[in-house]
Amino acid sequence: MNEQLIKQEIHDAIIRAVTGISDDVKGLLEEALAKETNPTAQSMLSAMLENLSIAKAADKGVCQSPGYPTSWLSFGDGNLPHDIKSTIMEALGEATKKGYLRPSIVDPLTRENSGNNTGKGVPNVEFEYNPGQEYVDFIISFKGCGAELGNAIQIMTPAKLGKDLVGLKRFIIETAINAGGKPCPPFGIGIGIGGQMDMCAKMSRKAISTRRWDDVNPDPQLAALEKELKDEINSLGIGAAGTGGDTVCLAVKMERAHTHTAICPVAINFHCWVARRAGVRIYNDGRVEKLL
Amino acid sequence: MKEYKLTTPVSESEARGLKLGDVVYVSGHIFTSRDMAHLKYKALLESGDPLPKDFAGAAIFHAGPVCLKQPDGSWKLQLIGPTTSIRMEPYAEMVGKMGAKLIIGKGGMGDDTLAACAKYGYVYLQAAPGCAAKLAQGVKAVKDVTYFELGMPEALWDLEVENFGPLVVGMDSEGNSVYHSLKKAAIEKMEKDYPL
Repeated sequence: MNEQLIKQEIHDAIIRAVTGISDDVKGLLEEALAKETNPTAQSMLSAMLENLSIAKAADKGVCQSPGYPTSWLSFGDGNLPHDIKSTIMEALGEATKKGYLRPSIVDPLTRENSGNNTGKGVPNVEFEYNPGQEYVDFIISFKGCGAELGNAIQIMTPAKLGKDLVGLKRFIIETAINAGGKPCPPFGIGIGIGGQMDMCAKMSRKAISTRRWDDVNPDPQLAALEKELKDEINSLGIGAAGTGGDTVCLAVKMERAHTHTAICPVAINFHCWVARRAGVRIYNDGRVEKLL
Repeated sequence: MKEYKLTTPVSESEARGLKLGDVVYVSGHIFTSRDMAHLKYKALLESGDPLPKDFAGAAIFHAGPVCLKQPDGSWKLQLIGPTTSIRMEPYAEMVGKMGAKLIIGKGGMGDDTLAACAKYGYVYLQAAPGCAAKLAQGVKAVKDVTYFELGMPEALWDLEVENFGPLVVGMDSEGNSVYHSLKKAAIEKMEKDYPL
């Protein structure tokens, strides 16, 4: 395993993530603008796409808020990179110094700013070991935190799920209505279902941060739910920026895990349209593929 | 829907003339303030001490910029965009009393703000969310920074702006809120589509 190659690829992915949004989300924004009928929403969506061009031309970040960095790293036998956190922290420090990232990570109680976008538990790295996997997958996502204000979690019960899951659907739709313009719509929604509270919360972030927003869930029941909920939420008229329009939601992404017979934990996690994330697959033999 | 070019300080009659959906561009000065700066103002007002800026006719922007310090000690603004305004809802009455006429942010605010808009004659303006490179083009200079010890996002940045926008009137001084009306219609539709 080439440690130097991995370090370089992780560094490059982080810089790529903070200077643009992933191609799938940009494509969905363009589609939303093409079919938008509300003039205010048209101007908001145009401003978003124009902002991407300005940021690119001026070599600036896309959004002033760097959000919160979480990474997912999966590895196989004998290819876990050494001291991955230091590599990520160095890249975060460099991106902060260059003005791509505003120093925004603080102690939760004293509110003291660390000045370099790292701190206790930051960056968060989620590790996954897959026996026999002959590559390392690394994805980093910077998720804005205004979007967090709309998030919700509920330990549902069989009775609360309701007939044809109407209770579950209402919980998700109502949460999207209450979030309205707060999570910088058009937003994406990650939903974790099952496990206990901690597991469903982690699944909700992983679903919206690591999947392409234009993919189709291989689980047919979840694929149908994702489509139904996205269409319903868009039909509510909330629109880009939350000031009215045809598209408030670019994607709904769900993940499930088995749970206990008494409960059904559900976590709803919003992601702003500024989907700053990047990912790479680095094979043991040195080949590299872009994931996001 | 009309388009307005306003210069700070903004008068009460100018603010009261703005209607839901109007488009506004601001020139003059904008003061950034978010959670921690609002807490500071509250403490100063309670103790009877002077505020760091004259807020009469002011534009308060719920935002924390990315600024880079230059070799000569001045600040260069890189990026600026709105933060989620609802966190500042507890200060609806206070900013009205302070004399602010334009509150700029994203996502809208609540009932207390709507009432204070009518009482004091100020409006809430929605900026395009996540458009920090574009909005930064309207900022001509950083005049100064107060409370830098709170951290870059939470400090009070006094920015010189020219045609800063576009900003859309999301809440006016006549009790109208685009956020409230959209939410009401959305809940009605959900009740129809997914009855319990």
